[in-house]
Amino acid sequence: MKKPSIRVLVFVGTLVSSLSLSWSSIANAQDLDGPSFEDILDGFSDPSRWLTYSGDYSGTRHSPLSQITPDNVDQLRPVWTFQTGTTTRGRGFETTPLVDNGVLYVTGSNNYAWAIDARTGRAFWQYRRNLPNDLTYGASAPVNRGFGMLGNQLFMLTLDAHLMSFDRRTGDVLWERELADYQVGYSATMAPLVLDNKVIVGISGGEYQTRGFIDAFDPVSGERLWRFNTIPGPGEPGSETWPDDPAILATGGGGAWMNGSYDADLNLIYWGVGNPNPDYFAENRPGDNLYSNSIVALDANSGELRWHYQFTPHDINDWDANHVPVLANIQWQGEPRRVAMVGNRNGFFYVLDRVTGELLLGKPFTATTWAREIGADGRPIVLNDGSQGCLPDPWGSTNFYPPSFYPDLDLFILTARETCATYVPEEPANTRGLSNNGGTVFIDEEQGYGALRALDIHTGELEWEFTYPSPTFGGVMTTASGLVFAGDHEGNFMAFNAENGENLWHYQTGSRIWGAAAMTFMLDGLQYVLIPSGTTLTAFALPNP
Amino acid sequence: MNRSRHFAIYQSIPVLALVWLASAGSAYAQAVNPLQSDPRAALAGGTIFRAQCATCHGADAKGLETIDAPDLTLIWTRSGSTEESVFRTIREGIAGSIMPPHGFPDAEVWMLVSYLRSVAVEGTTDRIAGNTERGAGLFNDNCSRCHRVDGTGGSLGPDLSNITRRRPLDALFVSVRNPSASIARRYKPVAFLTAENERVQGTIKSEDAFSLQVMDSNQILRGFTKTELTDLTRDGQSLMPAFEVNMLSESELNDILTYLQSNHDR
Repeated sequence: MKKPSIRVLVFVGTLVSSLSLSWSSIANAQDLDGPSFEDILDGFSDPSRWLTYSGDYSGTRHSPLSQITPDNVDQLRPVWTFQTGTTTRGRGFETTPLVDNGVLYVTGSNNYAWAIDARTGRAFWQYRRNLPNDLTYGASAPVNRGFGMLGNQLFMLTLDAHLMSFDRRTGDVLWERELADYQVGYSATMAPLVLDNKVIVGISGGEYQTRGFIDAFDPVSGERLWRFNTIPGPGEPGSETWPDDPAILATGGGGAWMNGSYDADLNLIYWGVGNPNPDYFAENRPGDNLYSNSIVALDANSGELRWHYQFTPHDINDWDANHVPVLANIQWQGEPRRVAMVGNRNGFFYVLDRVTGELLLGKPFTATTWAREIGADGRPIVLNDGSQGCLPDPWGSTNFYPPSFYPDLDLFILTARETCATYVPEEPANTRGLSNNGGTVFIDEEQGYGALRALDIHTGELEWEFTYPSPTFGGVMTTASGLVFAGDHEGNFMAFNAENGENLWHYQTGSRIWGAAAMTFMLDGLQYVLIPSGTTLTAFALPNP
Repeated sequence: MNRSRHFAIYQSIPVLALVWLASAGSAYAQAVNPLQSDPRAALAGGTIFRAQCATCHGADAKGLETIDAPDLTLIWTRSGSTEESVFRTIREGIAGSIMPPHGFPDAEVWMLVSYLRSVAVEGTTDRIAGNTERGAGLFNDNCSRCHRVDGTGGSLGPDLSNITRRRPLDALFVSVRNPSASIARRYKPVAFLTAENERVQGTIKSEDAFSLQVMDSNQILRGFTKTELTDLTRDGQSLMPAFEVNMLSESELNDILTYLQSNHDR
């Protein structure tokens, strides 16, 4: 047999190696299939990825990345800016982008969405939903907080209260399901929480004639698997905290419009519930009005309630508890505890045992005059109903924008708002499709300001703060290199030393940072940090790391 | 101290039956609000306003400064502002701005126009009994260094071309006699020492955690980094002097306001 010449061998070898090279560079198996539930469960372990709203299921928004440090952060520069071309009536660009394999998946206001090249900011595809002309704006503003992702599927909620699934490679719609009738006032804005074969979503519309809920859907078929109603039905547990009137329960509000967190070991999801309807006029709803203004722990398989804690019983100030519950495993008074932490709109910082729901700590983090302490029964000792002024305004002592937990420092870092308002309730019209606040709030704009605050999670005491000129609506992210990234109402994107709150860097983005927090990832050896602001998404990195 | 208040959240009132209003039909081409004689239209318009417009413009239509949404109680003070033009703005939106077009039925847009009429700011409605010519001279001597009328004058204080349409007479008197009683946003006073040891006095046009944007007392726009400033004070005293009676008599003040009011007639 004739031996192949060396030249042929070289050619074949080159062919094989170039085939395998190009194959691996175009798509390894992971890239083809997209992230699995296990990948999301791994959280930040793959630094090139950010796969769910908070980066992982814990809601700590604390990245292990450390290329950008307190020593070099002053060198941080914008790398590119993406212009959405869509404005947000009255609010902000609230999304957290997801990133996988160098591609960002981003939702915008008015249900726009994009896949964007993370290296350049150029879009691969754009989607825009044709929204109905008679939108009721149950979410108050046409915002969206991001995609959920599983495999090659993306999931997005819409202002007309639908859940949509897309093919992430093309932006093609795979399926969509109606959650509820937008003409009543239902809407949806949060980033879906994707678990193992479940897409968990919550509804907006607590200012309307609605009844809130949290739903689980099958990601492939789009079939609804379970629903947890945030306001109980007649005779159900919790209904005793309402008047014995099915009509009131059926329109009791309790939106679930912000992202929940997930503990895979306990198989529990943790979710905040919003205000009862109507917001300020409460004569027709005596009682605690469960599960409004509560955190609920639900079995992820069934949606059954395991425990709840109500931050603001019988709320009359619109202090939704729609916050990302921040989960951590900590030493609590010498014992290991699995806790859920919440900085609440009512002005209190809470630490709860997330296995049992036991309240471990409740301390005010602003000058709230609503209450100054939690009684031994776990209920607030209410001092002021709002008629006398100087409570937090309805936007709250903080709001839905994410806080961050810095584990090595045991600091809970959040954006606080110091505001003063007087509430004048008035019986509302209870009209389908119209907002139903039930009164007027006078906000004293002269007195408001904002602050980035770091709280000791063991005591709730203020460790440091950085003040802003006006009450601020920007979220927080921390990185393990000792940095805090935050945005303010004047448009500054900033970095702080996590240990002492010293400002180390700022960049004026040109528009308020509202409702959004930063995210970060590694790509080509560079640590990117992204922040949405106004109508732009800006990516930052060090010039010479 | 001026307690600048606004309604930030919707006020709810009983909704009127809207059915009859459908009969108003298509009125886009009309220059006059077909519902203007019906008091229920303003009430119903208020309900629509609080549901559809209040997110940006505030429940009392006075705008939300924090999101730069304009005060709609002042729209009628603009020259050329008519019911038809307001109807058109609601219907078509403002191109290039965040104000979107609205596809409400014509009758509902007219109800919104009626509501906006009902919340229009009360200006100085009576004729002020003074001398216009003398007022023009006094204005030139005392006010025009800082205030403009019809494009002439200074910029340190607000433009006064339309001021009598926007403010009632007693408020105008207070503004002249005691200007620090109420200082509008963007005219708040500030003073500081720069890194070059220059003493600067001015009004704050904008501010963030790191910088100040001011108009200095020479009416020059200047930006500063806060870390470079020392001795920064905001004592709440307006840069405008308080014109007491011995500086500007009652009749002289009347003359100035008559001059300002006459400006509307030109």
